[in-house]
Amino acid sequence: MSPWALQVWLGFALCTIGIGMHRTGPAFSRHRFGAPVAMLGLALMLVHTHEPPEPEVGLVLSMVDSLWVAPAVFGFALVLMGAPLYWKARPATLLAGWPLVAVAWYIAYPSIAGTSLTDFLTALIALLGVALALVVFALCVRTAERMVPPEDETEPLTEREKRYVESVLKRHLGGESDES
Amino acid sequence: MSLEIDMAITAFSGAAALTSLCVLFVMLGTINPYHRPEVPSLGALAVIFVATYVVSETHDIEFGLDALRFTLIEGALAIIRILPPAFVLLTAMLLRTSFRKRPEDPLLALLESESGSV
Repeated sequence: MSPWALQVWLGFALCTIGIGMHRTGPAFSRHRFGAPVAMLGLALMLVHTHEPPEPEVGLVLSMVDSLWVAPAVFGFALVLMGAPLYWKARPATLLAGWPLVAVAWYIAYPSIAGTSLTDFLTALIALLGVALALVVFALCVRTAERMVPPEDETEPLTEREKRYVESVLKRHLGGESDES
Repeated sequence: MSLEIDMAITAFSGAAALTSLCVLFVMLGTINPYHRPEVPSLGALAVIFVATYVVSETHDIEFGLDALRFTLIEGALAIIRILPPAFVLLTAMLLRTSFRKRPEDPLLALLESESGSV
């Protein structure tokens, strides 16, 4: 395998590992290295001094054609932060998000309009493939968990622990974000 | 086999193989002392192996690293084709979300009332 193909796969590995790292830990305190590792991986996939060989070049070109995903993701993130979903509505954040989504629509419209029935069916079949892999993974996790002997029943929470859980719930689900 | 069936088999197998590879990488990135990754890793490797074999048979490619690369790239391209319809769907869902009213949470109301009574 050529080093340029290897660079694409190394970037893919780092990007996926970074996303995985970012998803660990509680929602209010993500892994600090997750996002940088994922961004480094993405950069390794997309930035080359030499064109990667077939078939990797097809993936890189397809990713470059799909760069509208970047404003879409940032726009969706802002809309989700501004919408009354996790806490009270924040109209300024919401209004900052929708223009980015509009930009993404402007760039993506030719792709969306050019989607044929064959593309759509291929995408649906690919989704089934994704689902199959996830079902196999879930069954394997269930098997692994069942191989572990059951532990003794845990003691109920003490008063101090109950107060701590209550304070955590209030701080993070109390309807106000940490910043406000 | 017809071209459409070949495409469908390749997209299905490629997406399954790529997802399993992602599962392996995510397990690597989130490894911790409580992990039991042996069985899930074997399952993911089995999916990648079978998917690569199916694609190599479908396209008359020798089973090996090149077949694996081809399978994974075809899977990635098939998944990228999901993005435009997914974008349309997500935009519609977020439009609804933007105009919704935050529902009252009975758990938080209970917490408020209990802390007020202490």
